[in-house]
Amino acid sequence: MTATTPAHRRRAWRATRRAVLLNGALIAATILTLGPFLWIALASFKTQIVLLMGRVTFTPVTMNYDEVLFGRTSTFASNFVNSVIVASVSTVLVMIVGFLAGYSLIRMRWPKFVINLFLLWALLFNLVPPVTLAGAWYELFRTIHLGNDHVALILAHTTLHLPMALWLLSSFLRDVPRELEEAALIDGAGFTKLLRRVVVPVMMPGIVATAVLVFIFSWNEFPVALALTNNTSATVPVGIAKYAQENEIKYTQMAAASVLSAIPALLALIFGQRFIVKGLTAGAVK
Amino acid sequence: MAHLSVRDLRKSFGNVEVLHGISADIADGEFVAVLGESGCGKSTFLRILAGLEEASSGDVLIDGQSVIDRSPKERDVAMVFQTYALYPHMTVRENIDFPLELSGLDKAERARRIEATAATLNLTAYLDRKPRQLSGGQRQRVAMGRAIVREPKVFLFDEPLSNLDAKLRVAMRSEIRLLQQRLKVTSVYVTHDQVEALTMSDRVMLLNGGRIEQFAAPLELYDRPANVFVAGFVGSPPMNLVDAVATGGGVEALGTAFPSVAAVRAPDTVLGFRPEHVRIGEAPHAFEGKVILSENSGDRLLIVLDAGGTQLNLSLTERVPVRPGETLPCHVLPEHLHLFDRASGQRLN
Repeated sequence: MTATTPAHRRRAWRATRRAVLLNGALIAATILTLGPFLWIALASFKTQIVLLMGRVTFTPVTMNYDEVLFGRTSTFASNFVNSVIVASVSTVLVMIVGFLAGYSLIRMRWPKFVINLFLLWALLFNLVPPVTLAGAWYELFRTIHLGNDHVALILAHTTLHLPMALWLLSSFLRDVPRELEEAALIDGAGFTKLLRRVVVPVMMPGIVATAVLVFIFSWNEFPVALALTNNTSATVPVGIAKYAQENEIKYTQMAAASVLSAIPALLALIFGQRFIVKGLTAGAVK
Repeated sequence: MAHLSVRDLRKSFGNVEVLHGISADIADGEFVAVLGESGCGKSTFLRILAGLEEASSGDVLIDGQSVIDRSPKERDVAMVFQTYALYPHMTVRENIDFPLELSGLDKAERARRIEATAATLNLTAYLDRKPRQLSGGQRQRVAMGRAIVREPKVFLFDEPLSNLDAKLRVAMRSEIRLLQQRLKVTSVYVTHDQVEALTMSDRVMLLNGGRIEQFAAPLELYDRPANVFVAGFVGSPPMNLVDAVATGGGVEALGTAFPSVAAVRAPDTVLGFRPEHVRIGEAPHAFEGKVILSENSGDRLLIVLDAGGTQLNLSLTERVPVRPGETLPCHVLPEHLHLFDRASGQRLN
């Protein structure tokens, strides 16, 4: 009969309360993050009229996708290609520069204040809204005749996302045991071999995690892309914004384009997910 | 296989000098243990030999050739780290193969050497495992394998056993020693464990504060410590060291006159004798002490005595019934007495 003592009931009630609180928060987080995406995904299968009338039940149509992908006036395909080029190239640049700079910072015996100052600056840089830089960059790139080109946006995105990559890569580098590098040196590795065969493989989870994040950030970046591209070099977010026109906002086509644009990021996440979780918690528990 | 020499090796970190001129010659095939407490500079010494740390001045010679300006890879030395430093993303085979691959050996020779090394270290069954799937002892063996497979001129060991549990440590101790005797590779073995140093090595270099206190065979360190520091460091429990005054015919300490064992320059001396050399019972030159504590560990009886305000350790192999508070007469045979100069700490006999 111990199961019904008041103490036992109080414990059971406390456990229930805790479960409701924690799981409730989880459910709320799920709704808040998945909700908007689901709404957009559903909208992409509605007609503009159905959407604007706010109907809950509807007959799904694929005309929005047809229009976005194959419409005569649609620029989605070229936007997509532009985004792939800009995001991939800038990610590769960010990773190369970020990795080498991080290695220098962590391993080349810089005085502590230099390291801290550098990382602090990298953090502060992230606090500057990118849109404030967009105007200056527009002028700069136009002056050196790089305006409205992929190169301009690639360089801008590299600059924008380098600080974050540097932060992440430095902390992953810090977790690579120094003895491993020393063992490799004694085993006969030169500097390139050391990086390629030991340091990079050991911190691969961190590298993949960082690269996926940088790629997604570049993929989604809007204000700078808007300033530095024209009709032929526009990236996906700029293209999507153009569905909101002066006289009409093509909500449903916009939704279809959004869903399509999420695919690469989704693929990157699925591919990198295991690394991201592993990478972002590396060193937390040994 | 090489002769290793160090000449007046010095190292400073900023204003702090941690090695104050180390000079030593290590013969071809010799196993030298570098012993000392943490912070004595023994790891720095080893890292300078490996080329991982730059010396402030001095020289390191392997087979008569200066290697001080060479990078680690050009020195042909192998090192076993305390943390093993196995490459976590490589299998055991790849770990052992890594130095061979970098040395540019052909595939067949590499495979042959890996097989031979794995057989030597009982690792054949584990060649395709990753380090994380191995036990501590097995990881230690892989680290050894990676070192021996290259057939380097010199082995460097940086406290390789201190991450293992006590039982495994004893087993690995003899394993490493046997392996070294078979391969006859000049070895420098850094440890803070005096049992390891004394049991494994041909000679022990005892470091203290960046200086060599004594560099001699293990039993020499035990039987004839060069100074008070060595006397107090080597042996467990440590040697009893008591202040003594030299008189005309002998040395006075603990309220008794000990026979003279050495010529003295100044009367202020330190008399030393090991806990295991004290005998209980009346004899010429006997002294008395009151039992404070006795501990019997089965194989030996440890007694702490208070002899006129000086604490003494006794370590007896026979089981004598003693009670705290009891007064015991003790003596030490003259051949087991050590006499040191109190000012310089140097050995006199």
